[in-house]
Amino acid sequence: MKNKKTISIVLGIMCFALTLGICVQIKTVRGSNSIVKQNYEENGLRAEVLKYKEKYDNRYKELEKAEEQLEKERQNSTENNTELEQKEEEIKQGNKMIGLTEVTGPGVIITLSDSKKASNTSLNVSDLLIHDGDVISVINELKNAGAEAISINDQRLVPTSSIICGGNIIEINGEKTGTPFVIKAIGLPELLSGLSRPGGYLEILKEASIEADLKTSNNITIPKYTGVITYKYAENSK
Amino acid sequence: MRKAISKEKITLTITVGIACFSLVFIMSMQFKIVNQTDITAIENMRETELRTELANWKAKYEETDLKYQETQTKIEEYKQTKQSNDETSKVVDAELEQVNMTLGKTDVEGEGIEVILREKETENIGKINADDLLIIINALKLAGAEAISINDERIINMSDIFTINNAFIKVNGQRILAPYVIKAIGNQVYLESALLGNGGYVDELKKLGHDVAIEKIDNIKILKYNDDIKIKYMN
Repeated sequence: MKNKKTISIVLGIMCFALTLGICVQIKTVRGSNSIVKQNYEENGLRAEVLKYKEKYDNRYKELEKAEEQLEKERQNSTENNTELEQKEEEIKQGNKMIGLTEVTGPGVIITLSDSKKASNTSLNVSDLLIHDGDVISVINELKNAGAEAISINDQRLVPTSSIICGGNIIEINGEKTGTPFVIKAIGLPELLSGLSRPGGYLEILKEASIEADLKTSNNITIPKYTGVITYKYAENSK
Repeated sequence: MRKAISKEKITLTITVGIACFSLVFIMSMQFKIVNQTDITAIENMRETELRTELANWKAKYEETDLKYQETQTKIEEYKQTKQSNDETSKVVDAELEQVNMTLGKTDVEGEGIEVILREKETENIGKINADDLLIIINALKLAGAEAISINDERIINMSDIFTINNAFIKVNGQRILAPYVIKAIGNQVYLESALLGNGGYVDELKKLGHDVAIEKIDNIKILKYNDDIKIKYMN
Protein backbone atom coordinates (compact mmCIF):
# COMPACT_ATOMS: atom_id res chain seq x y z
CA MET A 1 0.00 0.00 0.00
CA LYS A 2 2.79 2.33 0.99
CA ASN A 3 4.64 1.34 -2.13
CA LYS A 4 1.67 2.22 -4.35
CA LYS A 5 1.38 5.63 -2.77
CA THR A 6 5.01 6.48 -3.44
CA ILE A 7 4.69 5.33 -7.04
CA SER A 8 1.59 7.43 -7.67
CA ILE A 9 3.22 10.49 -6.11
CA VAL A 10 6.35 10.07 -8.22
CA LEU A 11 4.28 9.53 -11.34
CA GLY A 12 2.11 12.51 -10.49
CA ILE A 13 5.13 14.78 -10.15
CA MET A 14 6.62 13.46 -13.37
CA CYS A 15 3.41 14.02 -15.33
CA PHE A 16 3.06 17.51 -13.92
CA ALA A 17 6.61 18.39 -14.91
CA LEU A 18 6.12 17.02 -18.41
CA THR A 19 2.84 18.88 -18.90
CA LEU A 20 4.42 22.07 -17.66
CA GLY A 21 7.27 21.60 -20.14
CA ILE A 22 4.83 21.11 -23.00
CA CYS A 23 2.87 24.18 -22.02
CA VAL A 24 6.00 26.32 -22.06
CA GLN A 25 7.03 24.94 -25.43
CA ILE A 26 3.66 25.52 -27.02
CA LYS A 27 3.70 29.09 -25.83
CA THR A 28 7.14 29.66 -27.33
CA VAL A 29 6.15 28.16 -30.64
CA ARG A 30 3.00 30.21 -30.77
CA GLY A 31 5.05 33.34 -30.16
CA SER A 32 7.45 32.53 -32.96
CA ASN A 33 4.72 31.44 -35.34
CA SER A 34 4.26 34.95 -36.67
CA ILE A 35 8.01 35.10 -37.21
CA VAL A 36 7.85 31.91 -39.23
CA LYS A 37 5.18 33.43 -41.43
CA GLN A 38 7.21 36.59 -41.88
CA ASN A 39 10.17 34.47 -42.70
CA TYR A 40 8.47 33.00 -45.73
CA GLU A 41 7.81 36.50 -46.93
CA GLU A 42 11.41 37.38 -46.31
CA ASN A 43 12.69 34.48 -48.33
CA GLY A 44 10.52 35.71 -51.14
CA LEU A 45 11.97 39.17 -50.72
CA ARG A 46 15.48 37.84 -50.76
CA ALA A 47 14.80 35.92 -53.94
CA GLU A 48 13.37 39.03 -55.51
CA VAL A 49 16.36 41.14 -54.51
CA LEU A 50 18.61 38.59 -56.16
CA LYS A 51 16.40 38.54 -59.24
CA TYR A 52 16.57 42.30 -59.65
CA LYS A 53 20.29 42.39 -58.97
CA GLU A 54 20.80 39.85 -61.73
CA LYS A 55 18.48 41.74 -64.06
CA TYR A 56 20.44 44.90 -63.33
CA ASP A 57 23.80 43.19 -63.87
CA ASN A 58 22.69 41.83 -67.24
CA ARG A 59 21.19 45.12 -68.36
CA TYR A 60 24.30 46.99 -67.28
CA LYS A 61 26.51 44.69 -69.34
CA GLU A 62 24.24 45.23 -72.33
CA LEU A 63 24.34 48.96 -71.76
CA GLU A 64 28.14 48.93 -71.73
CA LYS A 65 28.16 47.08 -75.04
CA ALA A 66 25.60 49.46 -76.50
CA GLU A 67 27.67 52.44 -75.41
CA GLU A 68 30.73 51.06 -77.17
CA GLN A 69 28.66 50.49 -80.26
CA LEU A 70 27.24 53.99 -80.06
CA GLU A 71 30.73 55.44 -79.93
CA LYS A 72 31.69 53.48 -83.05
CA GLU A 73 28.55 54.49 -84.90
CA ARG A 74 29.07 58.11 -83.97
CA GLN A 75 32.65 57.96 -85.16
CA ASN A 76 31.60 56.31 -88.42
CA SER A 77 28.90 58.83 -89.09
CA THR A 78 31.04 61.85 -88.40
CA GLU A 79 34.42 60.94 -89.88
CA ASN A 80 33.91 62.58 -93.27
CA ASN A 81 32.95 66.01 -91.98
CA THR A 82 35.29 68.19 -89.92
CA GLU A 83 32.51 70.10 -88.18
CA LEU A 84 30.82 66.90 -87.08
CA GLU A 85 34.15 65.40 -86.11
CA GLN A 86 34.73 68.34 -83.81
CA LYS A 87 31.38 67.82 -82.14
CA GLU A 88 32.11 64.13 -81.77
CA GLU A 89 35.34 65.02 -79.99
CA GLU A 90 33.41 67.42 -77.76
CA ILE A 91 31.01 64.64 -76.75
CA LYS A 92 33.93 62.37 -75.92
CA GLN A 93 35.67 65.03 -73.84
CA GLY A 94 32.39 65.87 -72.13
CA ASN A 95 31.81 62.27 -71.14
CA LYS A 96 35.32 62.19 -69.70
CA MET A 97 34.64 65.27 -67.59
CA ILE A 98 31.30 63.93 -66.40
CA GLY A 99 32.97 60.68 -65.38
CA LEU A 100 31.44 58.27 -67.88
CA THR A 101 34.78 56.96 -69.19
CA GLU A 102 37.90 55.64 -67.49
CA VAL A 103 40.72 58.19 -67.43
CA THR A 104 44.44 58.17 -66.69
CA GLY A 105 46.93 60.90 -65.92
CA PRO A 106 49.28 62.37 -63.32
CA GLY A 107 47.99 63.26 -59.88
CA VAL A 108 47.90 62.31 -56.23
CA ILE A 109 46.66 59.43 -54.10
CA ILE A 110 45.49 60.33 -50.61
CA THR A 111 44.87 57.65 -48.02
CA LEU A 112 42.80 58.48 -44.95
CA SER A 113 42.35 56.04 -42.11
CA ASP A 114 40.89 56.33 -38.65
CA SER A 115 43.33 57.03 -35.87
CA LYS A 116 45.35 54.06 -34.63
CA LYS A 117 45.46 55.65 -31.21
CA ALA A 118 43.72 53.58 -28.57
CA SER A 119 40.26 54.96 -28.02
CA ASN A 120 40.91 55.36 -24.28
CA THR A 121 43.52 58.06 -24.91
CA SER A 122 40.86 60.47 -26.08
CA LEU A 123 37.86 61.69 -24.20
CA ASN A 124 35.83 61.72 -27.37
CA VAL A 125 36.18 58.66 -29.58
CA SER A 126 34.45 60.55 -32.38
CA ASP A 127 37.56 62.75 -32.68
CA LEU A 128 39.56 59.76 -33.85
CA LEU A 129 37.22 58.93 -36.72
CA ILE A 130 36.89 60.41 -40.19
CA HIS A 131 33.61 62.22 -40.79
CA ASP A 132 31.79 63.12 -43.99
CA GLY A 133 32.77 66.71 -43.38
CA ASP A 134 36.45 65.72 -43.53
CA VAL A 135 36.07 63.83 -46.79
CA ILE A 136 33.96 66.62 -48.32
CA SER A 137 36.62 69.17 -47.32
CA VAL A 138 39.46 67.12 -48.83
CA ILE A 139 37.47 66.76 -52.08
CA ASN A 140 36.68 70.49 -52.08
CA GLU A 141 40.38 71.33 -51.68
CA LEU A 142 41.31 68.96 -54.49
CA LYS A 143 38.79 70.63 -56.79
CA ASN A 144 40.19 74.00 -55.80
CA ALA A 145 43.67 72.74 -56.73
CA GLY A 146 42.38 71.93 -60.19
CA ALA A 147 41.59 68.22 -59.96
CA GLU A 148 40.00 67.05 -63.21
CA ALA A 149 38.78 63.64 -62.03
CA ILE A 150 38.37 62.26 -58.51
CA SER A 151 37.48 58.87 -57.09
CA ILE A 152 37.00 57.64 -53.54
CA ASN A 153 37.62 53.92 -53.08
CA ASP A 154 37.25 53.60 -56.86
CA GLN A 155 33.84 55.30 -56.92
CA ARG A 156 34.11 58.06 -59.50
CA LEU A 157 32.72 61.43 -58.45
CA VAL A 158 30.14 62.65 -60.96
CA PRO A 159 27.98 65.80 -60.82
CA THR A 160 25.31 63.98 -58.82
CA SER A 161 27.61 62.20 -56.34
CA SER A 162 27.03 62.67 -52.64
CA ILE A 163 29.05 61.46 -49.70
CA ILE A 164 27.69 59.91 -46.52
CA CYS A 165 30.13 58.73 -43.94
CA GLY A 166 29.30 56.99 -40.71
CA GLY A 167 32.07 55.59 -38.52
CA ASN A 168 34.33 53.58 -40.77
CA ILE A 169 31.80 53.14 -43.58
CA ILE A 170 31.55 55.57 -46.47
CA GLU A 171 28.74 55.63 -49.00
CA ILE A 172 29.39 57.20 -52.39
CA ASN A 173 27.08 56.84 -55.39
CA GLY A 174 24.99 54.57 -53.19
CA GLU A 175 27.86 52.07 -52.75
CA LYS A 176 29.20 51.35 -49.28
CA THR A 177 32.92 50.82 -48.64
CA GLY A 178 35.07 50.82 -45.53
CA THR A 179 38.25 52.49 -44.27
CA PRO A 180 40.92 53.25 -45.36
CA PHE A 181 39.54 55.80 -47.79
CA VAL A 182 41.70 56.00 -50.89
CA ILE A 183 41.10 59.24 -52.76
CA LYS A 184 42.61 59.50 -56.24
CA ALA A 185 42.76 62.76 -58.16
CA ILE A 186 44.12 63.60 -61.60
CA GLY A 187 45.62 67.03 -62.14
CA LEU A 188 48.91 68.88 -61.73
CA PRO A 189 50.61 66.91 -58.92
CA GLU A 190 52.48 69.99 -57.62
CA LEU A 191 49.21 71.83 -57.09
CA LEU A 192 47.24 68.86 -55.77
CA SER A 193 49.94 67.99 -53.23
CA GLY A 194 49.38 71.45 -51.73
CA LEU A 195 46.88 69.68 -49.49
CA SER A 196 49.71 68.43 -47.31
CA ARG A 197 51.31 71.89 -46.95
CA PRO A 198 51.47 73.35 -43.43
CA GLY A 199 47.96 74.62 -42.72
CA GLY A 200 46.53 72.43 -45.49
CA TYR A 201 43.59 70.22 -44.71
CA LEU A 202 45.65 67.05 -44.37
CA GLU A 203 47.75 68.72 -41.67
CA ILE A 204 44.58 69.65 -39.83
CA LEU A 205 43.43 66.03 -40.00
CA LYS A 206 46.80 64.80 -38.79
CA GLU A 207 46.60 67.11 -35.81
CA ALA A 208 43.30 65.43 -35.02
CA SER A 209 45.45 62.25 -35.14
CA ILE A 210 43.76 60.86 -38.23
CA GLU A 211 46.17 59.01 -40.49
CA ALA A 212 46.53 60.99 -43.69
CA ASP A 213 49.03 60.14 -46.38
CA LEU A 214 49.61 61.81 -49.76
CA LYS A 215 51.58 60.35 -52.64
CA THR A 216 52.12 61.83 -56.08
CA SER A 217 52.11 59.62 -59.14
CA ASN A 218 52.54 60.13 -62.86
CA ASN A 219 50.14 57.45 -63.82
CA ILE A 220 46.85 57.26 -62.01
CA THR A 221 43.85 55.41 -63.40
CA ILE A 222 40.42 56.50 -62.29
CA PRO A 223 37.53 54.18 -63.21
CA LYS A 224 34.34 55.33 -64.82
CA TYR A 225 31.08 55.87 -62.98
CA THR A 226 29.22 52.58 -62.75
CA GLY A 227 25.76 54.06 -62.61
CA VAL A 228 23.67 56.10 -64.97
CA ILE A 229 22.72 59.77 -64.85
CA THR A 230 19.13 60.42 -65.87
CA TYR A 231 16.88 63.44 -65.57
CA LYS A 232 13.33 63.24 -64.31
CA TYR A 233 12.75 66.85 -63.34
CA ALA A 234 15.26 69.04 -65.15
CA GLU A 235 14.91 70.09 -68.76
CA ASN A 236 17.06 72.26 -70.97
CA SER A 237 15.59 75.76 -71.17
CA LYS A 238 14.34 76.72 -74.57
CA MET B 1 -4.91 -13.11 -5.64
CA ARG B 2 -1.22 -12.81 -6.43
CA LYS B 3 -1.91 -13.10 -10.13
CA ALA B 4 -4.64 -10.49 -10.05
CA ILE B 5 -2.33 -7.95 -8.45
CA SER B 6 0.43 -8.49 -10.97
CA LYS B 7 -2.08 -8.15 -13.84
CA GLU B 8 -3.29 -4.85 -12.49
CA LYS B 9 0.28 -3.69 -12.05
CA ILE B 10 1.21 -4.57 -15.62
CA THR B 11 -1.71 -2.64 -17.07
CA LEU B 12 -0.82 0.35 -14.95
CA THR B 13 2.84 0.23 -15.95
CA ILE B 14 1.97 -0.08 -19.63
CA THR B 15 -0.49 2.82 -19.50
CA VAL B 16 1.94 5.06 -17.66
CA GLY B 17 4.70 3.96 -20.04
CA ILE B 18 2.65 4.90 -23.09
CA ALA B 19 1.66 8.21 -21.55
CA CYS B 20 5.27 9.04 -20.69
CA PHE B 21 6.47 8.00 -24.13
CA SER B 22 3.94 10.16 -25.97
CA LEU B 23 4.70 13.12 -23.72
CA VAL B 24 8.44 12.82 -24.36
CA PHE B 25 7.77 12.43 -28.09
CA ILE B 26 5.69 15.59 -28.25
CA MET B 27 8.27 17.47 -26.26
CA SER B 28 11.13 16.51 -28.52
CA MET B 29 9.08 17.54 -31.55
CA GLN B 30 8.40 20.87 -29.99
CA PHE B 31 12.05 21.39 -29.19
CA LYS B 32 12.95 20.80 -32.79
CA ILE B 33 10.49 23.41 -34.06
CA VAL B 34 11.64 25.95 -31.51
CA ASN B 35 15.25 25.33 -32.50
CA GLN B 36 14.52 25.95 -36.14
CA THR B 37 12.57 29.13 -35.58
CA ASP B 38 15.34 30.53 -33.44
CA ILE B 39 17.81 30.52 -36.33
CA THR B 40 15.41 32.15 -38.75
CA ALA B 41 14.41 34.69 -36.17
CA ILE B 42 17.90 36.18 -36.36
CA GLU B 43 17.78 36.47 -40.11
CA ASN B 44 14.34 37.91 -39.82
CA MET B 45 15.62 41.09 -38.24
CA ARG B 46 16.67 42.26 -41.66
CA GLU B 47 13.28 42.40 -43.31
CA THR B 48 13.04 46.18 -43.58
CA GLU B 49 16.61 46.25 -44.79
CA LEU B 50 15.69 43.76 -47.51
CA ARG B 51 12.79 45.93 -48.57
CA THR B 52 15.01 48.99 -49.04
CA GLU B 53 17.54 46.84 -50.86
CA LEU B 54 14.86 45.58 -53.21
CA ALA B 55 13.65 49.11 -53.89
CA ASN B 56 17.25 50.17 -54.60
CA TRP B 57 17.93 47.41 -57.09
CA LYS B 58 14.59 47.97 -58.77
CA ALA B 59 15.34 51.67 -59.21
CA LYS B 60 18.85 50.90 -60.46
CA TYR B 61 17.52 48.37 -62.93
CA GLU B 62 14.86 50.72 -64.24
CA GLU B 63 17.36 53.56 -64.66
CA THR B 64 19.80 51.34 -66.49
CA ASP B 65 17.05 49.94 -68.66
CA LEU B 66 15.93 53.44 -69.62
CA LYS B 67 19.50 54.44 -70.46
CA TYR B 68 19.90 51.25 -72.48
CA GLN B 69 16.78 52.01 -74.53
CA GLU B 70 18.03 55.56 -75.11
CA THR B 71 21.43 54.33 -76.26
CA GLN B 72 19.83 51.83 -78.63
CA THR B 73 17.67 54.58 -80.12
CA LYS B 74 20.74 56.74 -80.67
CA ILE B 75 22.58 53.89 -82.38
CA GLU B 76 19.59 53.40 -84.69
CA GLU B 77 19.46 57.10 -85.42
CA TYR B 78 23.11 57.17 -86.40
CA LYS B 79 22.64 54.15 -88.61
CA GLN B 80 19.66 55.68 -90.38
CA THR B 81 21.19 59.08 -90.91
CA LYS B 82 24.57 57.85 -92.05
CA GLN B 83 24.02 58.93 -95.65
CA SER B 84 23.20 62.55 -94.94
CA ASN B 85 25.48 64.93 -93.05
CA ASP B 86 22.57 67.23 -92.32
CA GLU B 87 20.63 64.48 -90.63
CA THR B 88 23.64 63.18 -88.75
CA SER B 89 24.32 66.67 -87.53
CA LYS B 90 20.93 66.75 -85.79
CA VAL B 91 21.66 63.53 -83.95
CA VAL B 92 25.11 64.70 -82.92
CA ASP B 93 23.73 68.03 -81.74
CA ALA B 94 21.09 66.31 -79.63
CA GLU B 95 23.71 64.11 -78.03
CA LEU B 96 26.05 67.01 -77.43
CA GLU B 97 23.26 68.98 -75.80
CA GLN B 98 22.62 66.12 -73.39
CA VAL B 99 26.31 65.95 -72.49
CA ASN B 100 26.42 69.71 -71.97
CA MET B 101 23.35 69.53 -69.77
CA THR B 102 25.06 67.05 -67.43
CA LEU B 103 28.23 69.15 -67.47
CA GLY B 104 26.18 72.18 -66.43
CA LYS B 105 26.79 74.12 -69.63
CA THR B 106 23.09 74.70 -70.38
CA ASP B 107 20.32 76.60 -68.62
CA VAL B 108 17.89 74.13 -67.12
CA GLU B 109 14.45 74.36 -65.56
CA GLY B 110 12.00 72.16 -63.71
CA GLU B 111 10.33 71.67 -60.34
CA GLY B 112 12.49 72.27 -57.33
CA ILE B 113 13.17 74.35 -54.26
CA GLU B 114 14.82 77.64 -53.40
CA VAL B 115 16.64 78.03 -50.10
CA ILE B 116 17.41 81.53 -48.90
CA LEU B 117 19.98 81.86 -46.13
CA ARG B 118 20.13 85.21 -44.36
CA GLU B 119 22.87 85.68 -41.80
CA LYS B 120 22.01 87.18 -38.45
CA GLU B 121 25.03 89.37 -37.95
CA THR B 122 23.90 91.12 -34.78
CA GLU B 123 24.05 88.13 -32.51
CA ASN B 124 27.21 86.44 -31.45
CA ILE B 125 26.91 83.55 -33.87
CA GLY B 126 29.33 82.57 -36.56
CA LYS B 127 28.82 83.65 -40.13
CA ILE B 128 27.49 81.18 -42.65
CA ASN B 129 30.62 79.81 -44.27
CA ALA B 130 31.73 77.59 -47.12
CA ASP B 131 31.45 74.41 -45.02
CA ASP B 132 27.77 75.13 -44.33
CA LEU B 133 27.11 75.50 -48.05
CA LEU B 134 29.10 72.33 -48.86
CA ILE B 135 27.01 70.32 -46.41
CA ILE B 136 23.75 71.68 -47.85
CA ILE B 137 24.90 70.91 -51.42
CA ASN B 138 25.84 67.37 -50.39
CA ALA B 139 22.46 66.85 -48.73
CA LEU B 140 20.63 68.13 -51.81
CA LYS B 141 22.61 65.79 -54.08
CA LEU B 142 21.83 62.90 -51.74
CA ALA B 143 18.13 63.78 -52.14
CA GLY B 144 18.50 63.49 -55.91
CA ALA B 145 19.03 67.11 -56.98
CA GLU B 146 19.61 67.20 -60.73
CA ALA B 147 20.97 70.75 -60.91
CA ILE B 148 22.09 73.17 -58.20
CA SER B 149 23.25 76.76 -58.09
CA ILE B 150 24.30 79.17 -55.34
CA ASN B 151 23.64 82.83 -56.11
CA ASP B 152 23.39 81.79 -59.76
CA GLU B 153 26.82 80.13 -59.71
CA ARG B 154 26.09 76.69 -61.17
CA ILE B 155 27.49 73.77 -59.17
CA ILE B 156 29.31 71.53 -61.65
CA ASN B 157 31.38 68.40 -61.06
CA MET B 158 34.53 70.41 -60.34
CA SER B 159 32.99 73.29 -58.38
CA ASP B 160 34.74 74.36 -55.19
CA ILE B 161 33.41 76.53 -52.36
CA PHE B 162 35.75 78.45 -50.06
CA THR B 163 35.57 81.04 -47.34
CA ILE B 164 38.19 83.71 -48.01
CA ASN B 165 39.71 85.52 -45.02
CA ASN B 166 36.59 84.85 -42.98
CA ALA B 167 34.98 87.63 -44.98
CA PHE B 168 33.31 86.27 -48.08
CA ILE B 169 32.65 83.07 -49.96
CA LYS B 170 33.91 82.06 -53.39
CA VAL B 171 32.04 79.55 -55.56
CA ASN B 172 33.74 78.48 -58.79
CA GLY B 173 36.31 81.16 -57.99
CA GLN B 174 33.62 83.85 -58.08
CA ARG B 175 32.89 85.97 -55.04
CA ILE B 176 29.32 85.69 -53.73
CA LEU B 177 27.65 87.68 -50.97
CA ALA B 178 24.87 87.02 -48.45
CA PRO B 179 21.97 86.39 -48.63
CA TYR B 180 22.79 83.04 -50.18
CA VAL B 181 20.17 81.74 -52.57
CA ILE B 182 20.48 78.03 -53.30
CA LYS B 183 18.36 76.68 -56.13
CA ALA B 184 17.92 72.97 -56.78
CA ILE B 185 15.88 71.03 -59.32
CA GLY B 186 14.47 67.67 -58.28
CA ASN B 187 11.66 66.09 -56.27
CA GLN B 188 10.44 68.92 -54.05
CA VAL B 189 9.45 66.69 -51.15
CA TYR B 190 12.77 64.84 -51.08
CA LEU B 191 14.80 68.02 -51.43
CA GLU B 192 12.95 69.81 -48.67
CA SER B 193 13.01 66.91 -46.24
CA ALA B 194 16.75 66.50 -46.79
CA LEU B 195 17.26 69.89 -45.19
CA LEU B 196 14.48 69.97 -42.62
CA GLY B 197 13.58 67.61 -39.84
CA ASN B 198 15.74 65.70 -37.45
CA GLY B 199 19.40 66.37 -38.16
CA GLY B 200 18.52 68.46 -41.22
CA TYR B 201 21.14 71.10 -41.72
CA VAL B 202 18.76 73.98 -42.26
CA ASP B 203 17.24 73.24 -38.87
CA GLU B 204 20.72 73.42 -37.35
CA LEU B 205 21.31 76.81 -38.95
CA LYS B 206 17.95 78.00 -37.66
CA LYS B 207 18.83 76.84 -34.17
CA LEU B 208 21.98 78.94 -34.39
CA GLY B 209 19.76 81.90 -35.11
CA HIS B 210 20.12 82.33 -38.86
CA ASP B 211 17.10 83.16 -40.94
CA VAL B 212 16.38 80.40 -43.44
CA ALA B 213 13.46 80.17 -45.83
CA ILE B 214 12.66 77.25 -48.14
CA GLU B 215 10.22 77.73 -50.97
CA LYS B 216 8.87 75.10 -53.35
CA ILE B 217 8.83 76.40 -56.89
CA ASP B 218 7.12 74.54 -59.73
CA ASN B 219 9.31 75.89 -62.46
CA ILE B 220 12.68 77.04 -61.23
CA LYS B 221 15.37 78.11 -63.67
CA ILE B 222 19.02 77.40 -63.03
CA LEU B 223 21.62 79.21 -65.09
CA LYS B 224 24.48 77.50 -66.88
CA TYR B 225 28.12 77.48 -65.85
CA ASN B 226 29.60 80.42 -67.62
CA ASP B 227 33.24 79.53 -68.06
CA ASP B 228 34.83 77.00 -70.33
CA ILE B 229 35.59 73.68 -68.73
CA LYS B 230 39.01 72.57 -69.82
CA ILE B 231 40.96 69.43 -69.20
CA LYS B 232 44.72 69.26 -69.48
CA TYR B 233 45.96 66.27 -67.56
CA MET B 234 43.58 63.37 -67.99
CA ASN B 235 43.43 61.06 -70.96
